[in-house]
Amino acid sequence: MRVPEQSQAIVIYTGWERHALLGSDIRLSCSFFSWRWTSEDVTFSWTYRPDGSRDSISVFHYTGGMAYVDNKGPFRDRLEFVGNPARRDGSILLKNLDFSDNGTFTCDAKNPPDIVGRPSSVRLLVFEKVPIQAGVITGSIIGAVLGLLVLIVVIYYLMRFLVARRVFSLSVSKHGKKKKEGSQQRQGPVPPADPSKPVRRMAAGARSNQQQRTVVRKTEGVGGGGEEGPGRVLMTIELELTRKNGEKGPGGEGGMGRSAAPGFLSRLANQLTFK
Amino acid sequence: MLVLAGIIVVHITSIILLLVAAIDNAWWITDSVSTDLWGRWELTNSVWHYTNLKNYPEEYLQTVQATSVLACIFAILALFVFVAQLFTLPKGQRFTFTGILQLIACLCIMIAASIYTAELHADDTVGGYGHSYVLAWISFVLTFVLAVTYLVLRKKSE
Repeated sequence: MRVPEQSQAIVIYTGWERHALLGSDIRLSCSFFSWRWTSEDVTFSWTYRPDGSRDSISVFHYTGGMAYVDNKGPFRDRLEFVGNPARRDGSILLKNLDFSDNGTFTCDAKNPPDIVGRPSSVRLLVFEKVPIQAGVITGSIIGAVLGLLVLIVVIYYLMRFLVARRVFSLSVSKHGKKKKEGSQQRQGPVPPADPSKPVRRMAAGARSNQQQRTVVRKTEGVGGGGEEGPGRVLMTIELELTRKNGEKGPGGEGGMGRSAAPGFLSRLANQLTFK
Repeated sequence: MLVLAGIIVVHITSIILLLVAAIDNAWWITDSVSTDLWGRWELTNSVWHYTNLKNYPEEYLQTVQATSVLACIFAILALFVFVAQLFTLPKGQRFTFTGILQLIACLCIMIAASIYTAELHADDTVGGYGHSYVLAWISFVLTFVLAVTYLVLRKKSE
């Protein structure tokens, strides 16, 4: 006597949702995974439940090597079996779709002795024209505008950097071995060696004149000789800047409030004016 | 002090109004329906149900959605940039970046409200415009005034 073999679980795969145009054909795929070899008694069956209805009808059955398609129901003459049971494929082809074909198709496969499994469903949606997925236009407009904004900001800062650098390299070649003060981007063009003529024309985004003058003066004092390496001069300038900001040096925050000990907010607030 | 506080209060108000206009589904209301931009509230048997929007011109609806969201984003960005520029702007300069961002926000909400007026519910006889729609136009005015303010305002230079 043959002991019936243990049954294991079988896993069935179909799609989740299928979209199709009115009048077109669609292939609904169904496949399964099973630990056992594909037996000769493998069966596939498809049932259909229309949208809004609670009853499902059987439209396709494959068993004993024979495929039985719907010949009385809504799919008569429109259903075709295009699967390959030996390769665990139980797909069907629906032809000439109509709006009444909207609904859920359930595929159930059995591979004896593996019969314990959950049937898998695929939802069919028939459209007159393929709709744009919800939110695609919204998302693309938002993304494009924000991307453009980022691009513009990056280009703006890049232009500033390039212009400052170009001015710097031009001045260097003109002044040759003279002291290279103010060589950082934000400092603007290189001031002439004569400190009594403070630089008035700035490159884009440079600080105010007072600051520039201060830096020039201080660097001249520290620099001394004319053959400083550019590295040392740069470091000096940075140091001067931070120190100056910390001590509120000459011509620093001219916008301080009139009161004796201004609060932070009032100091900030007094910096705004319409004139 | 008053100027700074006033500007910030008005800016935050405009952001709040923009957010309400963009998020709340009340651009068009009737006695039992409150709809747009994202869904539709229908009152059936004294229970409100939330459903999807159907039979709308998709491109126009999504453009209104996108531009109203962009208006909120730019207004919030303008607030942060204003605060940053308060600290970093050189003396005597104008708050141009903030002004430009606020102007773009104003433009976006104007586009949103205009397209909505022209294309959606243009032929409906029942119902009227809801509070989100009204707030959208009010925030258009506020953001415009703020943008002009930022473009004129200067940092004091001594």
